[in-house]
Amino acid sequence: MSALTNEMRDLIRAEFHKYPNLRAVVLPALHIVHDRHRCVSLEAVREIAELLELQPAEVHDTMTFYGFFRESDNPLGKRRVWICRSLSCALRGGEELLEQLAQRLDCIPGKTSPDGRYSLEFGECLGVCEGAPCMLVDDVCHSNLDADQAVQVLEKLDSGKSNSAGTKNESAVR
Amino acid sequence: MFTVQINDQQLQLDDGEKLNAIQAAQRVGIEIPQYCWHPTLTVVASCRMCLIETGQRKADGTTDMVPKLVPGCQLPVKDGTVIVTNSPRVEQAQKATLEYLLLNHPLDCPVCDQAGECFLQDYSYRFGRGHTRLQEPKLLRDDKDHIGDQITLFTDRCVMCTRCVRFTREISGTSELQVIQRGNHAEIDIFPGEPCNNKLAGNVVDLCPVGALCSKDFLYKQRVWWLQTTSSVCPGCSTGCSVHVEQNSDVVHRLRPRVNPQAQGHYMCDEGRFGWKYIHSPDRIRAPQIRSANGTQANTNWTTALATVRESMSGAAMRNGESVAGVFSPWMTVEEAYLLASYLHELSPQTRMALGPVPITGDDDFYPKDVHAKASGEPTFVIRAEKCPNRRGVEAVLRRFRGQVIDFDQMMRETARRPIDALYLTGGYDQYCWTGEQVDRLKYLGFLVVQDIVASPLTAAATVILAGGSFAEKDGTFVNKAGLAQSIRRSIRSPGEARPDGRILWDLCGRTGLFHAGKLRQEIANEIPELGRLQSELGEEGVRLFESATEPTLTSTTGR
Amino acid sequence: MKHELVLLKRVDSPAGPGLTGYQADGGYQGLRAALKMAPDDVTKMVIDSRLRGRGGAGFPCGLKWTFLPKNHPGPIYLCLNADESEPGTFNNRILMEKDPHQVLEGMIITCFAIRSQTAYIYLRYEFGESYRILQRAIDECYANNLLGKNILGSDLCLDIYLHRGAGAYICGEETGLIESLEGKRAWPRIKPPYPAIEGLFRKPTIVNNVETLACVTHILARGVEWFKSQGIPADPSNPRDVGSYGPKLYCVSGHVNRPGCFELPLGVTSRELIDEHSGGVWKGRKAKAVVPGGVSMGFLSADELDVPLDFEAPLKAGCLGLGTAALVVVDDQTSMVDVVYNTTRFFAHESCGQCTPCREGTSWMQKILERIRQGHGQMRDLDLLQELADSMGILPGTTICGLSDGAAWPIKNALTKFRQDFVDYIQSGRRAPQSALAAAH
Repeated sequence: MSALTNEMRDLIRAEFHKYPNLRAVVLPALHIVHDRHRCVSLEAVREIAELLELQPAEVHDTMTFYGFFRESDNPLGKRRVWICRSLSCALRGGEELLEQLAQRLDCIPGKTSPDGRYSLEFGECLGVCEGAPCMLVDDVCHSNLDADQAVQVLEKLDSGKSNSAGTKNESAVR
Repeated sequence: MFTVQINDQQLQLDDGEKLNAIQAAQRVGIEIPQYCWHPTLTVVASCRMCLIETGQRKADGTTDMVPKLVPGCQLPVKDGTVIVTNSPRVEQAQKATLEYLLLNHPLDCPVCDQAGECFLQDYSYRFGRGHTRLQEPKLLRDDKDHIGDQITLFTDRCVMCTRCVRFTREISGTSELQVIQRGNHAEIDIFPGEPCNNKLAGNVVDLCPVGALCSKDFLYKQRVWWLQTTSSVCPGCSTGCSVHVEQNSDVVHRLRPRVNPQAQGHYMCDEGRFGWKYIHSPDRIRAPQIRSANGTQANTNWTTALATVRESMSGAAMRNGESVAGVFSPWMTVEEAYLLASYLHELSPQTRMALGPVPITGDDDFYPKDVHAKASGEPTFVIRAEKCPNRRGVEAVLRRFRGQVIDFDQMMRETARRPIDALYLTGGYDQYCWTGEQVDRLKYLGFLVVQDIVASPLTAAATVILAGGSFAEKDGTFVNKAGLAQSIRRSIRSPGEARPDGRILWDLCGRTGLFHAGKLRQEIANEIPELGRLQSELGEEGVRLFESATEPTLTSTTGR
Repeated sequence: MKHELVLLKRVDSPAGPGLTGYQADGGYQGLRAALKMAPDDVTKMVIDSRLRGRGGAGFPCGLKWTFLPKNHPGPIYLCLNADESEPGTFNNRILMEKDPHQVLEGMIITCFAIRSQTAYIYLRYEFGESYRILQRAIDECYANNLLGKNILGSDLCLDIYLHRGAGAYICGEETGLIESLEGKRAWPRIKPPYPAIEGLFRKPTIVNNVETLACVTHILARGVEWFKSQGIPADPSNPRDVGSYGPKLYCVSGHVNRPGCFELPLGVTSRELIDEHSGGVWKGRKAKAVVPGGVSMGFLSADELDVPLDFEAPLKAGCLGLGTAALVVVDDQTSMVDVVYNTTRFFAHESCGQCTPCREGTSWMQKILERIRQGHGQMRDLDLLQELADSMGILPGTTICGLSDGAAWPIKNALTKFRQDFVDYIQSGRRAPQSALAAAH
């Protein structure tokens, strides 16, 4: 059984033309697999390496550097929730938010909740400091949250009313 | 010519010489400590151990100093470059880097294989601060025995110089090693399930400047300060890698590559590195043996053995010179081949001489490999298919004495027309390489001398067995595939009564005094024009015998 | 003084962030102007404008372009550094999300000037919204002959590709970015060679920040004089000062009432930013310290709030520089020990691990600070922290990139300017709660 589906292979190949060599496709390929499998298994690394004409150790080296890609022994849950712990957020309650969400979601940072709904992460500066403390859900940021609001945002996302989350990314720009 | 100043010394360099500060300092005997730099690998300048101060001498005699420290490995020297390696700032930086490196490094030197040849130990002693100011517990990481069949990783001891990773990417091209994670959590590893077992893998142990990557073969066998080191040549293939043979009490414990740009460069292959174990085989022939009237072979003394050989060989030669022959192993030194050839020629100019089997395995194996395991790019290393050290040297001797080189099989095919009565056959191969058919032919000879090191069906066929010496037990000259003549040197004594072949042949020839490879080499240089350059001292790097690497036209060689 | 917004002019514009709206508001006039010029004249305009890089180092942008080899036959690459990760910084995100075309226009002009036919946007993964908006904008450009072959009928051919990162601060360092784009771990390269000579895929490469290239758009559209009419002129007594001209996006976050991103001429003070633009320090408190430009720049104390935030003045106040001009305001109820613990933890986590002093030193400093916060500090720890902080970075020459300068600077500044906070912690033996920063509410 191949770890990469034909769809993934096609998507990876569709990246080739953007770069003068195949190695540059490592990150795009890892994202393509990670988005779909919620992890990148060793077998997937091997198959990516084969597609990109690299040794698996070269792909794995790159992959582990970023700390972004989960391996198959620790796959992501349905949603990945990052709470920023860097200075601007921490000054406004980011670390408490992380602590409280860890309890509310029954999930320690870096792992996945037992029901598989959430993977919690601490984030280093998410670049939404005007909305501190902020929470990134997969790749959409929500601002100015306490734990109740954060849980509310997640529940709304789960019920499909994602756009109604009122705190989403209201950048203060003047 | 241009001038570089290192501390208070002036160094003159030839135009076009491309040295970094580390190499320039080395020329005037100053060591700039460093971990990550290696002359064969890309410069990463990441260990920050080689930080120095530098500046540029101006026309008016003053010097413009760069305000910050720079890594010596990353500083190409040019005319007027000033290097300062001993200022308080440099010394402070060296102390700081060492303190950082030792921060999470276990102080397990008493049980560490690297102790005694460890750059962390040596530099700490010379440049370090002597104590740590870390109050917190050290980071602990699991050791990794899975790195390779021959390689184990003591993860805590690693200083992240990445020499090993770069070796597998740039020299072997096999890229098994990787760095995983980042920052303080970074570690060396393999991709799970794909160990570092390429044929050059053992080099990463040598490259490791600390006790992180260790050789499983050598692990916990010896303290390195017990070992005596001899410069020699690996006999495993016709690349002829320069090596250090390291022994204690007549037991060899490891071979390490010896840097020789004339020969192989900096590295050696694992076949050579671990392939010498046969020299301590329990089947080593420890004394000369003679077949008695009832057909059994029994130990004898050298006087009897050599007298028997002389008597039978001379007798046969007197009856018919053509019926006496010698088989010259490509494992013989030039000196040994010369002595045997002289002896046979002395018996009769009609005696016959042939080159013994030349073992060939596959094709020459070039590195680096690409991802498809094919050789690609500028070669960094080659493992020769010809698995013997001195075919070219032996052939030169044979050409001198018999005008042409014929091989063993060719000679034996002619026995119907030109029968052989007495045969002197030399071995010394690392692996038994004789076919049953070849041995069967030998069994019916009237008199068969086998000079060899390990008991085998071949020695079982012999009338007289002469217990010879392995490459580690003798002095002499090997000529590699590229025509480079290098000295091999005696590192250990032969087991039991066994003797280095040169001495056996010296005695057989009835020469007076003692066998001395260097003196004999002079004689050979005078006698054999093709080997004329052996006149000069071979030194540590050897002497190229021919202007080009192409070989003289051969009438015939074996297996090619 | 009310000043005209340029970079943020179209934020939430009724015309919308799309191409139609952008062009209706006068967009792509800068590009049209550029295409009528010779590429070197465009570069000259950028040089003359004295535009300095907005990403942190403040290197003169036009000068950087001139480092490219002349008449280079092979490919030249442009990388847009959109890996905005410096804590406190979010101006580039706003530019990309709210008005992506002014960024793309700046890229196209730059590629014309430097003769590049391929550009990459290295975008940090976390900016999902920026990713989708930029991709849409790029698609619009291709559909309207603003990208692809013979742009607007000129000889200029250009492809722009979006490349997403994977959460590593070091990818904001230009050679780390290049390594990452090449599919490797983002270990910064040794220099020389600089990217302009040998960069992405070993070819000449220019790496510029998002806001920098947005400025290029407006320099071409509005002229050099407009750009130089704002900011702080060069100090004639300092030959190395090339001036701080043009508008700048200042981010303000932390303990203020209304955090946000403000476009102001270079040289505004922290006090103005806090009091006049961000609604003052929260809860009626006073500012104790201000990060002038992303946490790696160190701190200004309450006495230094009138330091103009241009490229030069923060240096004179002992900071590492202007950085990204992202202010993080810390109120007077907060211990600077907790603040530098937070920043040090960040840098220890983001150290790429290549250079020994940074790899080992950042996490050692984190351990020492944590010990002080746990009530086990000793006064001699302060000397050790000072020694470690002084010894790491590209300024002393002990590392390849500037990450550890950024790790060291907050500690150095805090030890000098807020030493009493450390002494208080050590002498009281007080233990910080796990999340000490927010506990100071």
